[in-house]
Amino acid sequence: MENQSIMMNDGLDDLFVLVPQSSSDSEKITAPRYSYWKSVGRVFFRKKSNWVFLALLAVIIVMSIFYPMISPGGPEHNPNVSNLDSFNLSPINAIKMFGFKLSWIFGTDGGGGSVFDYLWTGSRTSLALSSICTIINMTIGVILGAVWGLSKTFDTIMNQIYNIIGNIPYILLITVLAYIIGTGFWSFVLALSITGWLGIAYFIRTQVIIIRDREYNLASRCLGTNIFTIVFKNILPFMISVIVTLLASELPSYISYEVFLSYINVGLSANIPSLGRMINDGQKVWMSSPWRFWPAVIVSAIISVVLYVVGQNVGDASDPRTHMS
Amino acid sequence: MENNKVEKEVLLSVKNVDIVFGRGKNAFRAVTNASFDIYKGETFSIVGESGSGKTTIGRAIMRINPCAKGEILFHGNRISGKISEKEERNVIRHIQMVFQDPAASLNERATIEYIISEGLYNFHLYKNEKERIEKIEKVIKEVGLLPEHLTRYPHEFSGGQRQRVGLARAIVMEPELIIADEPISALDVSIRAQVLNLLKKFQVEKGITYLFIAHDLSIVRFISDRIAVIHKGRIVEVATSEELFLHPLHPYTKSLISAIPVPDPLIEKNKTLFVYDPSIHDYSCEEPELVNIGNEHFVFGSKSEIEKYIKERNS
Repeated sequence: MENQSIMMNDGLDDLFVLVPQSSSDSEKITAPRYSYWKSVGRVFFRKKSNWVFLALLAVIIVMSIFYPMISPGGPEHNPNVSNLDSFNLSPINAIKMFGFKLSWIFGTDGGGGSVFDYLWTGSRTSLALSSICTIINMTIGVILGAVWGLSKTFDTIMNQIYNIIGNIPYILLITVLAYIIGTGFWSFVLALSITGWLGIAYFIRTQVIIIRDREYNLASRCLGTNIFTIVFKNILPFMISVIVTLLASELPSYISYEVFLSYINVGLSANIPSLGRMINDGQKVWMSSPWRFWPAVIVSAIISVVLYVVGQNVGDASDPRTHMS
Repeated sequence: MENNKVEKEVLLSVKNVDIVFGRGKNAFRAVTNASFDIYKGETFSIVGESGSGKTTIGRAIMRINPCAKGEILFHGNRISGKISEKEERNVIRHIQMVFQDPAASLNERATIEYIISEGLYNFHLYKNEKERIEKIEKVIKEVGLLPEHLTRYPHEFSGGQRQRVGLARAIVMEPELIIADEPISALDVSIRAQVLNLLKKFQVEKGITYLFIAHDLSIVRFISDRIAVIHKGRIVEVATSEELFLHPLHPYTKSLISAIPVPDPLIEKNKTLFVYDPSIHDYSCEEPELVNIGNEHFVFGSKSEIEKYIKERNS
């Protein structure tokens, strides 16, 4: 027995080599460096369907930005106003009459204007409206909401304001505002963003309260960090995924508001092409002239769905818990 | 004894402090009439069971919890209640805190570089970028980490490493007093010594004073100069470390000391525990108070109890 164990030891001595121990070696981290935004990109593009949605979104954005530059739509750019024969032509008749051109593939509207041109000019208006409103509302909402959640004095004041304004139905408020300040593009932006940030701020406040009392915020206070630095360094970085998810629901919501308000005739004025105006006009004739109705409905649906899905997936990817795998 | 006391400079003094949470009917008195002095350069420990108000006192010194009564003096200046912004910044600058949970007390989305420099940024304790980098590289080496760790995030570190980052963040401010709120309770037993030795090292090198909050008496005995025992928000006994362990007088202190595990199964099995029964105190006719019975030993009790304690101490 003793011999055997000695022999085994001999064998082990050959296999194992004594490594000198160093205390600084044991502190080393061998894992590759972590970069937050790189990991967000990696997780987002790992999902193949995201490429498709992103491509669809790119097509719609490129078309709405550049196509109206080449061939603008709307009542001001209608060469056929006095040509009664050109009114309300189906795609086939329009191509027969004017020859094949991209402008005529969706036929003409009630005034002889190109539906295709109107569609992209309209979606440019709708996209511009929703992105401007989202930028304004999100910026105000997120910053105020973060301070709202952190500061107790601000909380008491803001809660009262929220109780008063928050209880007025949003649609009603916009309707009244649209009547008061007119129906131009910028007055519509004002109507949508005058109280639109309040709901966002309240949502952010609730999220901030969840992470406000974590110990690292206390630690920052003990180091004398002021409230704005705490907002930007301690609170907001933790809320990127919440903010992106919120963005994903905010962006399409303004398109829906615009469509809905134009539909009930309090939206943008008639001379501004928009998807809502187009749907409103088209729904009256959607049985007899479906080409005037469906393109706008489909494009507005695609914009909403794609923005929502892409936003949700970026939101998921920006949650660091998904970065592990 | 009295002469000895005069020689030592009082750095922080807590005087008759009450801390109350909530208002009116729901008011909860977390700390009642707490008084103690911390001398410059010593380690003063507060021990007690969970919920006894140890952390609350520590946080009151950091001005996180307001005092309902009494005052806290730092270098003889009042730092509790309403004070000017300049004084408040002065308190923050010179009193730092090390937290219990190293995972929760570091900002997960900031690099170690930002975490350690946070206080430096707030007080502009550097002349230029180069000096700031030098300072944080020096401190990170002092706590046994590597300068290459500065670009890493907290989640990449082990618990012991994180706690050393927490310590580095406090040390880089060059504070006079560090409130260490159970700095090792969340750590593995094998790395506790590492953090404790660092605390000791900084005390020797930089003359830092510690207020050490803990519930583990065996560690407290190793690290502290003086110990305060707190029970249900009341300080029941304050004494030097040796004195407290040799002559525990208050029954609660006795029960705490008898509960320290002995690393010998035979002794541990046959040990009789001293159970504290608060009903033995009869405070109906005599108002109890914290009395100095000599040798810098303070005990909380009524007059008759104090007489008993003095007799016990001198026998």
